[in-house]
Amino acid sequence: MSSSVLAERAPVRGITEIAGRLLPGKGSDSPSNERRLNFWKSKELCLNYIQDALLQKQWKRAAEFLTSYIESLEKDFSTEYMGPSEIIWRIGTEILCNHSRSNIKEFNSFIEQMKTLGVKRYLKVSVCLEHAFHLLCNGLIDEAYQNLSLAESWRFGERTVVQDKEMKLIQAYRGLLDYYSWSNQKNILLQYGKSKYYLSVEQEMHGCFRKAAVNLKEIIKIPGVWDLFVKPYVDLLEFYGDHQEAREVLTDYAYNSKFPANPNAHVYLYQFLKRHGAPKKSLISALKILHDIVPSHELMIDFNTMLQKSSKSLNIFALFLYVNLEYYEIVLHSEKHLDWIKQEWNSRKDWWPAFHFSRYSAKRNWQENESLSYEKALVAGVLLGKDCKYFKYVSHQGCKAQVKKFRTLKKFVTKHSAACLSISGL
Amino acid sequence: MEFPGVLFPSYFGCGPPRDEGGPAPAAGWGERGKVLEAGPRRRQVLPPFVPLRSHEGESWAPAEAAAVPLLPPNMSCWVPTVTPQDILYHGVLHRKLRTGRSGAALDFAKQLGHFFVDHPEDAFSSLGQLLHKNFHLGDSRLRKPSTRDTTIRMTSLVEKINHMEARRGCPQRQFTSHLRLFSHLCRDWLFEVPLGLLADCVHEELLLQWTSLLFDDSSTGGALAWLPPRDASSHVGCLVYPGGLAMNHLYFQDVVLEEQPRARGLPVQFELNGRIRQVAAARVDGQDFVGVRSDYHCGVWRMPGKTGAAPSPLQVIHTDMPASCLTVSPHLSGELSVCTQSGAVYLWNIETGLQRLRHDPQTLFFRDHSPWRWSDFTAHPRVLSCADRTGILCLDARAPTSCHFDFFKVGEEAKCQQGERVVLPMYLGRAHPCQHLVATQFAMYLLDERLPLVPVLKWAHMMKAPPLFADIVPGESGRSHKALLGTSHTQELLLLQYTGGSQMACQLTGPPQQLHRIASCLPHLPTQLPHRHHLLQQRLSIPAAGLAAVQHEQGQQESLLVFQLSEAGDVFYQTLRHEAAPTPVPDQRDEAEPAPTPNKGDEAAAPPGSPILFGSEEEEQEEEEEQTFYLSNLEVIINDEEEEEEVVATPSAPEEPEPHASPKPAPDVPSAAATLRYRRWLRALLRAWVGSPVSSCRSGPPTLSQRRLFTRKELSEVAPSALQQYQLQLRQAMREQGRIQRWEPAPEPPNPPPSLEPNALSSRLTAAWRGEWGAVGPAGSILQRQQALRERRRRQKRNRAHRSLSASFTSSITYQSELSELSEGGTPRTPPATPREVVVCSPPRTPPPPSTEILLSSQELRSRGIPKERRRTLRDYLSVWAEGPQDPPETPSSITVQRCIPSSQSQLTSSQSQLSSASQPRRKRPRMGF
Repeated sequence: MSSSVLAERAPVRGITEIAGRLLPGKGSDSPSNERRLNFWKSKELCLNYIQDALLQKQWKRAAEFLTSYIESLEKDFSTEYMGPSEIIWRIGTEILCNHSRSNIKEFNSFIEQMKTLGVKRYLKVSVCLEHAFHLLCNGLIDEAYQNLSLAESWRFGERTVVQDKEMKLIQAYRGLLDYYSWSNQKNILLQYGKSKYYLSVEQEMHGCFRKAAVNLKEIIKIPGVWDLFVKPYVDLLEFYGDHQEAREVLTDYAYNSKFPANPNAHVYLYQFLKRHGAPKKSLISALKILHDIVPSHELMIDFNTMLQKSSKSLNIFALFLYVNLEYYEIVLHSEKHLDWIKQEWNSRKDWWPAFHFSRYSAKRNWQENESLSYEKALVAGVLLGKDCKYFKYVSHQGCKAQVKKFRTLKKFVTKHSAACLSISGL
Repeated sequence: MEFPGVLFPSYFGCGPPRDEGGPAPAAGWGERGKVLEAGPRRRQVLPPFVPLRSHEGESWAPAEAAAVPLLPPNMSCWVPTVTPQDILYHGVLHRKLRTGRSGAALDFAKQLGHFFVDHPEDAFSSLGQLLHKNFHLGDSRLRKPSTRDTTIRMTSLVEKINHMEARRGCPQRQFTSHLRLFSHLCRDWLFEVPLGLLADCVHEELLLQWTSLLFDDSSTGGALAWLPPRDASSHVGCLVYPGGLAMNHLYFQDVVLEEQPRARGLPVQFELNGRIRQVAAARVDGQDFVGVRSDYHCGVWRMPGKTGAAPSPLQVIHTDMPASCLTVSPHLSGELSVCTQSGAVYLWNIETGLQRLRHDPQTLFFRDHSPWRWSDFTAHPRVLSCADRTGILCLDARAPTSCHFDFFKVGEEAKCQQGERVVLPMYLGRAHPCQHLVATQFAMYLLDERLPLVPVLKWAHMMKAPPLFADIVPGESGRSHKALLGTSHTQELLLLQYTGGSQMACQLTGPPQQLHRIASCLPHLPTQLPHRHHLLQQRLSIPAAGLAAVQHEQGQQESLLVFQLSEAGDVFYQTLRHEAAPTPVPDQRDEAEPAPTPNKGDEAAAPPGSPILFGSEEEEQEEEEEQTFYLSNLEVIINDEEEEEEVVATPSAPEEPEPHASPKPAPDVPSAAATLRYRRWLRALLRAWVGSPVSSCRSGPPTLSQRRLFTRKELSEVAPSALQQYQLQLRQAMREQGRIQRWEPAPEPPNPPPSLEPNALSSRLTAAWRGEWGAVGPAGSILQRQQALRERRRRQKRNRAHRSLSASFTSSITYQSELSELSEGGTPRTPPATPREVVVCSPPRTPPPPSTEILLSSQELRSRGIPKERRRTLRDYLSVWAEGPQDPPETPSSITVQRCIPSSQSQLTSSQSQLSSASQPRRKRPRMGF
């Protein structure tokens, strides 16, 4: 290992030497079987030491042991899932990422050696991918792109399912980088308008588009979480006016049952539909599912506004969202609304009072946010009547502080106390 | 609540987990995971990428060299934990079984034997009483002819059993028909409980013990809870933990958070009806609720609003099946969730009682035999998560049968490995309302309720045992959350940091960090006598039973305080200090100058950090030397229990080398405050130990009766005055709890006067014994001079030995020759005091039978008419033959010795080689006669 950080100081020459120091009672003239066992044992021991050092952030010590562990490569006949080459790669990367004196150059040279090491196990693909990630994190986009292309062209050794997946991921990331260069060129074009370079830039841009689109399209078909790739792909399609395809992609991403229930998929679809002026019905249906998965999402405000406007149904959030006396005046005087509130309240009345309207939260809300406490007191008063602890505390404090709206609130609730009591079912 | 706009890419599949061939050894290292663009792009500038596993994180450095005791030791807990050695079979059979079938060979016969010996009343009382006249237990022969026919002499039977025991493992052992007959005769009627039934019960219990040794999930969740200070200004929190003899006392101890946390006042104590398995706590509306789970009872306490008042017990429930989980709701006061091993999940409200949400003895997603169930709360107060080993399900308490969704599956969905099982789920509501931590034996997962089935973060934790305890320290305002994972048997403790969940996707930040184990404080405790050291070692390596963590600020310094509880009820803590140093995280020990922490007192001046391990050959040798002669330190400190506290602890001997423990760099010296705590803790422990019933029944080394080694006659041959003196010395040593040191210039037994005895041959023989073969000359002045010389040498040797005990071990051979020389000279020594020394002493040998001697003399041969040329051959032959019976001393006493101290193998062989070398000159003896 040429990497100077790793080879910096290696007082222990090899695993066998460690074994000699640490394994008690081991003769030099032991039979070969025993020696093999000892070798295996000392390999395990050495790995244990490395682990310990890593977990205690002793990078230098770990590096010293790792230089010894490299000996295990010589007799790598193991059929285990993770061979020594992969272990060395993983640990070496970890050390180089954290060692105070390592730099990107050294890291690269280490990784280059690792790439030739795990040929048999098709390790190269994983190493290249991780290397590309590392380069990307360090802002070295071009090098990362090269690495990804290199990994993509690698055709040696046995491939497993995992590595197939990794290959797809490599292509997708390459597509992503292609997309970035495409959008760069797009920016250039937009900035400089029609100049003499226009044609060549446009051509290059188109090339990038094709490369990116092919790779991105490929991975989006496979079930998974592909937020990172769906967005650029839709952007590309939208730019070239292929709205139909974009919509299909997004719909599939959101509604395909093989995909996980990803809230972002619905968000993207909603945003796309909104951009293209889709009818309210489809917007609402896009948000309906999001409402089921993430009721606390910020888009729910949009959702409620739309529901409110279409006034087809009521939502319990509306009770909190539209806190003004006029709204409640309407609600409390409409038979339909009252029935609906009663129905909604039934499933919540065993825990809302304790959760939302306790005396403790009244105190805290009053101290921290007066307007919030006003709104909550209104809802509490409507739902639980004027004897509710929350309402009592807040209206008392409000009246004491001589705030006018609290006085009106108190009057309102007292006036409608009959309707309120019928909701709370007392 | 925001949801991250872009998530890290990942594949999603369904089905059983992949076969990856078991846990990979370094799976957690070196990966970036995936990358994601970090933020909105600006024109021309490509977006910076962030990895799933970032290496930049906050740096927390341990402030002490090891875990420090927070509270005095749990005095009454002396019940040792079961170890594999207790219940596994050791011997030839064990090896045979191991090579054949996998699986443990339980030493069932030994346990049964223990039962018979420990509870004879329960085992044999009625028939024993009936038949006791027909058994004779004495040494003496039965005289009366009338009784002889109806009485069995047990001594011979016992002897036979002993013989058999001694020959355990010998290929040529034979069962005596006598024993066999006896067992056939009384197998059916002797036992109080029918033997088959009893054996079934014992075997079942052994199996249970063994499975719980392999993995004990009853303490999942941990029995230690930290109740944070009531308001930010006060620094007094409360620690809730179990203690007492059977861990059945619940303690509420106020703890003041200062530079070093300290207990304030006496703990409030409740005695419960069973061993406390889990303590869970949550704060709702400013009130702390503490749930306590034992096997068949669960209880809930409420902390008082005022300081100084005692916590009030609210309610207790009793379950038919052992409860496996108890969690306290962070949303609604007085609400808990309980799971039992029958597969039932209950929502327990103090006002409305129990509501059964689910009852399914089957596991969720695939079949698993474990009855363990877990349940926790989620972001929604009415939605609970139910977990078993195969995954997690979320269900709505209002409509539990119809309204539920799968939250986590052990399978391809989370990219699990084959054999992976859920070990500990935890709701991380304090860090983020939607996040859950799921730990398996291989990895930790972070899950978001809004994106079920797909872990937002996964990391292979590489711990040696499955993590059973976890705690979270939420990071405020964009800082990383700290998750702690703890294991039980290996006492591992791992600190992880992660960020995200709201605006950004979750990221693991910084390298994981291992914290001190409880056992790590052993080298920092004052050096102890071997048996106490052993006791300490046992006490400190007892499995962990819980952990709790809290972050607090001392002026500008942020500290992370981690409490650990051991199964013995001892509470330890360690402090981590936040280093505001910018990234990359600096090496903790490797840096040239580790920043000395200001509070470290004088000790910090000692060479800090570590001499680089394996730095040089000499260093290594030195270390080794220290380990082998580790006993050498003992003489310096004999009884430090009474020492003053101000005395700084002497650096202690290194821990006994474990084969798999890493050779740690020389540990930093603990701070003065920590040292003080160590000493106090140790003193309290030892004081309690001395008073405990355990110490009286098995204090220190086992003793051997003199009668087993020497006959009465031999003993009485010692000069009576010397015997008395020795007895006196022994008594005094016992009173002082010290030891008898033979090499002390104690009154020597009177040397045999070097008289020019009538038998010149014997004196020359004695000389020959000592190997001074060539120096044998005419008896008289030379002999005396040699005697004086030898005396001087012996004195020198003794002085050397006095300096270090180790020397006595290396020179055991010389000592052996001394001893044998003495016994040969006809002066019996007093019996040695400890069995360690007993080993050194070979069994007393009788002088060679005179008949051979007579036979070998040439006159005798001549008188028998044997021709001169054949006499020599015959003599050689006879001399060889005469050695025969002496060589292996087959007395029972020697066998006992061997069994007592198996480690004395080398010493025994050395003494044997001594024997054979000693026999060398004897063969030549006849020639001397010429």
